[in-house]
Amino acid sequence: MAKYDENDDTPPAIEIGADGIDAHKIVEQIRAAVADKRARGVYDDEIVARAERNNLLLIEDDEQFMEQYLRCLRQIVPVDINDFEIMEKRGSLRPLMILLKKTIWKLLKFYTYRLWSQQNQTNAVLLAAIETMNRRHKSEISRLESRIEALESGRGG
Amino acid sequence: MRIAVVAPRLHEPGTVGGAETLLYSLALDAVRLGHEVDLLCTCAKNHHTWANEAPPGVFARDGLTVRRFPVDGRDTGLYAKLQVNLASGCRLSPGEQEQWLANGVNSTALVDWIKSGGRDYDRIVVGPYLFGLTREVCLAAPERTLLVPCFHDECYARVEALHAAFSKIRGFLFNTEPERKLAHRLMSGLSPRVEETVAMGIEPFEASKTAFASRTGIAAPYIIYSGRREGAKGTPILLDYLDAFRRRTGRDVHLVLTGSGEIEPPSSLVPAIHDLGFVSEEEKREAMAGAAAFVHPSVNESLSIVVLESWLALTPALVHAKGAVLKWQCESACGGLWFKDYPEFEEELSFLLDNPAAAATLAAQGRRYVLSRYSPEAVRARLGSALER
Repeated sequence: MAKYDENDDTPPAIEIGADGIDAHKIVEQIRAAVADKRARGVYDDEIVARAERNNLLLIEDDEQFMEQYLRCLRQIVPVDINDFEIMEKRGSLRPLMILLKKTIWKLLKFYTYRLWSQQNQTNAVLLAAIETMNRRHKSEISRLESRIEALESGRGG
Repeated sequence: MRIAVVAPRLHEPGTVGGAETLLYSLALDAVRLGHEVDLLCTCAKNHHTWANEAPPGVFARDGLTVRRFPVDGRDTGLYAKLQVNLASGCRLSPGEQEQWLANGVNSTALVDWIKSGGRDYDRIVVGPYLFGLTREVCLAAPERTLLVPCFHDECYARVEALHAAFSKIRGFLFNTEPERKLAHRLMSGLSPRVEETVAMGIEPFEASKTAFASRTGIAAPYIIYSGRREGAKGTPILLDYLDAFRRRTGRDVHLVLTGSGEIEPPSSLVPAIHDLGFVSEEEKREAMAGAAAFVHPSVNESLSIVVLESWLALTPALVHAKGAVLKWQCESACGGLWFKDYPEFEEELSFLLDNPAAAATLAAQGRRYVLSRYSPEAVRARLGSALER
């Protein structure tokens, strides 16, 4: 599979028989491998979190949505204040515009620190609140499910 | 039989529009079945402005009689406002639904042609579902109308004013089984006289796996997407995922794009993108044939022709699992894999790159499926049966 993980598992053993290959089986095996790697934190990085920004809305009805959403949120909650690549689309003015933008960034960078620290505090508090709410909801749902099960088994018996 | 095929725009080279392509193809199939076919369309060419660009009139093309009618004037501001409300999950009142349809795409001249008897058509084939024009055609001659809905599981498909018109028509020509099931979910109690999964015939072709790389000099492995690039088609997900894939795995996998629409790739992905824009069918097929996978991250498709073409070009598909139709296509054909999030995408793309024999087998299975299910002969037989019933 991907080269980045030296401790990677053996790739799924896919058999190509006379009847061909079973796409379902490949997807199932890959999903099992993903679940294992996910548990080991292989995908817990900022790159994956940012890559999911457009996908999260599509999977909101998925069972694992909240887990995945929070995982992504945890990775990108600190605001990045490092220097970044400054781009310019206008061809003829490009070098001049890039120079101008870089100069403006250097001048303003210092003043963004205050915003940055406040935003990071806000993000951290929000994340903690969402995680707490999620934990409480899960525990409450689990308690209610157990209670329903007990009531139903009592009535059925 | 005398048949009218009604499409919002005329399918022409350079016109991106799956429904128009499908309806044009069905019209040609009806001609080949020996029917007399009129293609009725509007004078619009652009699916954003719907301006009357072509002159109204009648002309012959490909054995069809093409009749062009002007698009009605409309309040685009009101339409956009209602469209935004619909898209953001608001339920439109019956009055607002009428306003939304009245200010969408309509052609009174076209509907009047049908109402006045036109050429006394035995069957009227019309689509796709979401235009006022389609609704008016259904209401004008319900007993003769066959709708090619191209339903997607989206907010517009839940507009009751459309359901009321569609529940009275002769029948439906669906593209896929999931689309047929969706129609029944949307309109409970639906029992039309005709219900056929017809889809679109694709002429078999062979494409060289090396021609594209030789011509363009692209030596790196690449994935491909063909069609409109926009949020609804999942293009932003594709760009984000490939960028993440390259950064995480260190593999220099490129992206070839054909079709139209602006893209905003992350800066680190820019050097790996080859945006070809509109290309000839042959170039597109060769580009598909050389790709490691055809990636289609859209969740709203009623049938993906480009996925079928990629299988004919012997390239496996990689699609979004939330796209019911795309996943169904891959499952039915065993011609591709489906991912629901980035980790699955990463593993599946790695799998296809690292296991060329398995990838080739998936693609070959896809090709066999297209040849048996979507050959022009098979599609024509299904269409003929639906028209006769």
